Amino acid sequence: MTVLGITSIEHAYLGRSVLKDIDLAVSAGEILALVGPSGCGKSTLAHVAAGLLEPKSGQVERRYKRHAMIFQDPALLPWATAAQNIGFGLRFARVSRRDRAKRVAQAAQQVALEPGDLPKYPVELSGGMRQRVAIARALAVQPDFIYFDEPFTALDVALRRRMQDLVIATCANAGLSGLFITHDLHEAARISHRVAVLDTHGVGILGHRQLPGTPGERSEAEERDWVAAALARDPLFRHIHDVDERQIA
Amino acid sequence: MRARTASFIPRRLADRAGRLLEFVWSAWSGLAALFLLAAVWQAGHEAYGPFILSSPQDTLAAVWHLAGDRKAWSLAALTLQRSVTGFALVSAMGILLGLAAGYSPATMRIAAPLITVLTGVPPIAWIVLAMIWFGGSDATVRTVIVVTALPVVFLGAAQGVAIRDRNLDRMAKAFGAGPVRRFLAVGLRQTTATLFPALTLALGTAFKVAVMAELLANAGGIGGALANARVNLDIASALAWVLIAVSLLIAVEYALVQPVKGEVDRWRRAAQPWGVKR
Repeated sequence: MTVLGITSIEHAYLGRSVLKDIDLAVSAGEILALVGPSGCGKSTLAHVAAGLLEPKSGQVERRYKRHAMIFQDPALLPWATAAQNIGFGLRFARVSRRDRAKRVAQAAQQVALEPGDLPKYPVELSGGMRQRVAIARALAVQPDFIYFDEPFTALDVALRRRMQDLVIATCANAGLSGLFITHDLHEAARISHRVAVLDTHGVGILGHRQLPGTPGERSEAEERDWVAAALARDPLFRHIHDVDERQIA
Repeated sequence: MRARTASFIPRRLADRAGRLLEFVWSAWSGLAALFLLAAVWQAGHEAYGPFILSSPQDTLAAVWHLAGDRKAWSLAALTLQRSVTGFALVSAMGILLGLAAGYSPATMRIAAPLITVLTGVPPIAWIVLAMIWFGGSDATVRTVIVVTALPVVFLGAAQGVAIRDRNLDRMAKAFGAGPVRRFLAVGLRQTTATLFPALTLALGTAFKVAVMAELLANAGGIGGALANARVNLDIASALAWVLIAVSLLIAVEYALVQPVKGEVDRWRRAAQPWGVKR
């Protein structure tokens, strides 16, 4: 069953077409990684799919109940404590005041935040902890679909791996569906069920590749081999590392 | 659950009491600065004599004398009432207009030149106009306060909206917040960074302008008392009234603006290590 269906989307930014003829579908329980060279419009596509941007034409069909989004910048409210930040989405999700504390505690536990961290303000937390809070904020609304907008790009390698494991444990293996935007093929190979490639100029999805097995069960060697094979032999990934700095992301 | 709530409330109270004590303790540095000023004042008094500058001690004695006078209290209360109502008026107007201009570039483009015009007209001109329109009444003083302090509050609010973090807006939208709730939950709070300095400035302007307008419009209050002191060449009571006006301003600022600011800026203090908290 398709939970997110995107049909012939076109989006223009300041009169310049950034996305065109995009068709994409995410099935229930699937994490779809969307990769593409830097500046090809991946993030824009995620924002259109999540309803943050209105497409110029085309349809977005959302069959999930509730979505959440995790951004590259954790986007925490600086004046609110970690607990208040985690509970931010609950205000708009019509969760009663009494249940909020419970949900916050539960989400914090899922991302391994300690109760002692909850009364701290974001300025008192490290970058990794802030991203944990952002993930907890997304999980707290109990979504059945999560948008990941290059969430771990700004983190260092070790931290990124840990965050990926966190996402695999809380989303990919928990039956959630999601759209994971990344420019890192290794990350895509770790986290997703399927990889879709966006055209360098945002004109259509070039193709999909199903990954073997399920995220979390693949060995590191399998992931590495898959990425190496994809980059060496698969024409779909030929332009994945192209960079056009003039384009607006 | 109950046990947690029970321990939660005393902890909150202790936290608040701690912050209050810290705030009171920080008054020492303020007092030190005031005593420095008094020392310079005393030196000026000793250099130029009591006719030009009466000593701080004499001035305090004059304040003490006025404090025993019922009429003086009502004069001070009149100025206080005018300044605070004028300040409330200009805050409400400035914040509403500023927020509107911050969110709507068209409004900003219309309002910006008007603000420049408003800034350029000298307050004394407004006093003359207001005197002609309203005579020596509260309305004259309030009008002058509003037109003088409006640009500061307006720009403070508009700037606060303009420099807001748009990532937070986007995040709130992603969690399903509509425009109104986005403004209330995310936008409004961010304006405080520029709005509070503007409000502090506006409050000071309100007191200064109130006294000036009273003096020139012969509208009673502290300004009227200052006019009398000038006629009598009574330097001690003139300085005493200045002292009273300043004390009123300090009292209002620390009773009204600073507590709100302290509450709103709690997170900024969280990042500061011990010893450098301001």
